[in-house]
Amino acid sequence: MYEFDWSSIPGALPLLGKGLLVTLEVTLTAIVVGIVWGTLLAVARLGANPLLAGLAAGYVNLFRSVPLVMVILWFYLIVPQLLKAVFGEGIADIRLTSALVAFALFEAAYYSEIIRAGIQSVPRGQVAAGLALGFTPAQTMRLIVLPQAFRNMVPLLLTQAIILFQDTSLVYVIGLSDFFGTAYKVGDRDGRLVELLLFAGAVYFAICFAASQVVRRLQSRGVQ
Amino acid sequence: MIEIKKVGKHYGHFQVLSDCTTAVAQGEVVVVCGPSGSGKSTLIKCVNGLEPFQSGDIVVDGTSLAAPGIDLPRLRARVGMVFQHFELFPHMSIMENLSIAQRKVLGRSADEARERGLKLLDRVGLRTQAEKYPGQLSGGQQQRVAIARALAMDPICMLFDEPTSALDPEMINEVLDVMVELARDGMTMMCVTHEMGFARRVAHRVIFMDQGRIVEDAAKEDFFGTPRSERAQLFLSKILRH
Repeated sequence: MYEFDWSSIPGALPLLGKGLLVTLEVTLTAIVVGIVWGTLLAVARLGANPLLAGLAAGYVNLFRSVPLVMVILWFYLIVPQLLKAVFGEGIADIRLTSALVAFALFEAAYYSEIIRAGIQSVPRGQVAAGLALGFTPAQTMRLIVLPQAFRNMVPLLLTQAIILFQDTSLVYVIGLSDFFGTAYKVGDRDGRLVELLLFAGAVYFAICFAASQVVRRLQSRGVQ
Repeated sequence: MIEIKKVGKHYGHFQVLSDCTTAVAQGEVVVVCGPSGSGKSTLIKCVNGLEPFQSGDIVVDGTSLAAPGIDLPRLRARVGMVFQHFELFPHMSIMENLSIAQRKVLGRSADEARERGLKLLDRVGLRTQAEKYPGQLSGGQQQRVAIARALAMDPICMLFDEPTSALDPEMINEVLDVMVELARDGMTMMCVTHEMGFARRVAHRVIFMDQGRIVEDAAKEDFFGTPRSERAQLFLSKILRH
């Protein structure tokens, strides 16, 4: 019978906390950049300019057709030179930057599909009413359509954020010490891998389950 | 004020409007009626460029819609429009619905827009509802707000696209009353409606459309007295039977 020994966890809590911060940093960056960039992609895709619409569609289809793990590796292995050119030579650790960029660009493709559906869920009459008042098409999108679209989309956006939070654990492939990576390293170091991974799993579960309850409450409120 | 000249529109091979010609003078109230699918809503939406057309021209207060490089937002800001389904913005309070275009399009200050908005809410009898949201109002109240929202832009003319056809019967009159008052105040109006009582009370002219064509364009008295076209006679007998 395997003897559980949880004693290495209390001492590792500060390290694990730092790992959790990295996880949250990647998650929040990907949510914010993903929604902003995803909105632009969705608007371009639905817009009148066929060139922009085509480029946006190509981008979304490309990122949705490759595994996330590969995108993370691409940005770590293939494009660090580009990242250095953009962000300067002064980056101490390319791993975090490349993970942030990879997740933000990847998630934008998924967010853009959610946002596109949200925009299309706003009745066309609302657009006509906005235009009839003298708003430009861009103002109509910004002031009339997007606020309603986002209100309809909140549950879906949060669900995607929960999936994203879990997916950030994939950064272990580039050796970045996020929460999962830190738990793995501590467990490996102390020979207590099973305990640490069980503990990490429990933390992921607690956070995601709590968040999904929030989403459920939002959804049931939206139904009323 | 509004000149519609030989306007034609088609979707592929389907001709929605053919050779429509008419005009609305300043202060005139023109009712457009006809069976569903006759193109009356499409025609009125062409007047502020919500629907494009392929041939002919529409000139609103000297501005040609067919002219290249026409500033549509500028034109639309001067032409009020009321829709069948109200189309208030559900994420904004009634006051925000009335003031947002005044501020963002006309550049009025928040105070100015609010003052103008309250004045118009007074006019349609809904001043006390200013802080509510559209979903909290009845259909009739929403449509009155929609009229006030259009009037807040100080339009040179108003277009109504079946403003009462989505309303419960007991709410139709409160909307028509506002429209009658507006007509009596001298507003230039083009109304797509089946409310023949309204047409009798305030219209100067009635246009009857069928299959994308203007079949009859007559002074109110002539239209209701002796409609010349058989189609209009048939339509009137159907609509006025009960």
